[in-house]
Amino acid sequence: MNLPPTNRPAPNGLIRWFHQLGSPPYFDRFAARWAPWAHLLALLTMGIGLYGALFQVPADYQQGDSFRILYIHVPAAWMSMAIFALMGVYAAIALVWRIKLCEILAMACAPTGAAFTLVTLATGSIWGKPMWGTWWDWDPRLTTELILLFLYLGVMGLYAAIDDRRDAARAAGFLAIVGVALLPVIRWSVVWWNSLHQGQTIRLFGESSMDPSMVWPLLWMIVGTKLWFAGSLLNRARADNLRRETGKDWVAKLAGATP
Amino acid sequence: MNYREYVVAAYAVFAIVLLWDYVVPKLQARAALRAARLRATRAATRKAPPELQR
Repeated sequence: MNLPPTNRPAPNGLIRWFHQLGSPPYFDRFAARWAPWAHLLALLTMGIGLYGALFQVPADYQQGDSFRILYIHVPAAWMSMAIFALMGVYAAIALVWRIKLCEILAMACAPTGAAFTLVTLATGSIWGKPMWGTWWDWDPRLTTELILLFLYLGVMGLYAAIDDRRDAARAAGFLAIVGVALLPVIRWSVVWWNSLHQGQTIRLFGESSMDPSMVWPLLWMIVGTKLWFAGSLLNRARADNLRRETGKDWVAKLAGATP
Repeated sequence: MNYREYVVAAYAVFAIVLLWDYVVPKLQARAALRAARLRATRAATRKAPPELQR
């Protein structure tokens, strides 16, 4: 049967690529190809940042060398919040349009976000001991960041607790969307309450209260942690995609199974 | 460098957590591919006809 020709224009390359990316085998090839590059670039970028942070930047006149912890603490803290926001966006798209890849990406955000939150809390605690004289204080900024870690763990736990992957992703995604409400509280906790934690000293857009000679390694670290996250997101999403598709022929072929 | 042990401890935590973040998904992907291989092998064994048919 000959179908009548349609007047619909051919989709442009970007839209076609976006639709193709939703195909599990296509995404697997995409992630396997680009994740190593993202990690390699992240290592190079963070390598430059860490060299500057540890060997180039002068010690702080008050904090001495302990201020060098800032170069991992601040990028990790920003990533902990940015990843949660991104997870909320993916989860919302997945809930509204039922796009399976968005479910996978939302759930893949959680472990890396939890890792950055853990780094934030641990490095802050290690810095706090010599500077504040204590490892921990129930300060608004520290407490809200700890709640963020619990939210990440809640999302991961809920996703692992339900057998059906799609139901699990929907339930955990809902928790992620609700949890986004915590982000402004973390961001402005140092303004809204009396906080032991210092206020904002570094601004990407605007003048920082940090000396310019000390800022450049931080910028490299901020870019490096983002590239690292891109690589981790692709790796984790690929692993989940493979796990969901275990019974499919393309996975068996990829695994080298004999027909 | 003063406060050296604190700086070293903080950077060590960062390195260990990133290493964990890199290794775990690799192991998960490998486990998923192994599960797919075993599943395909089991399916092929079930389909194969018995050697002796009386």
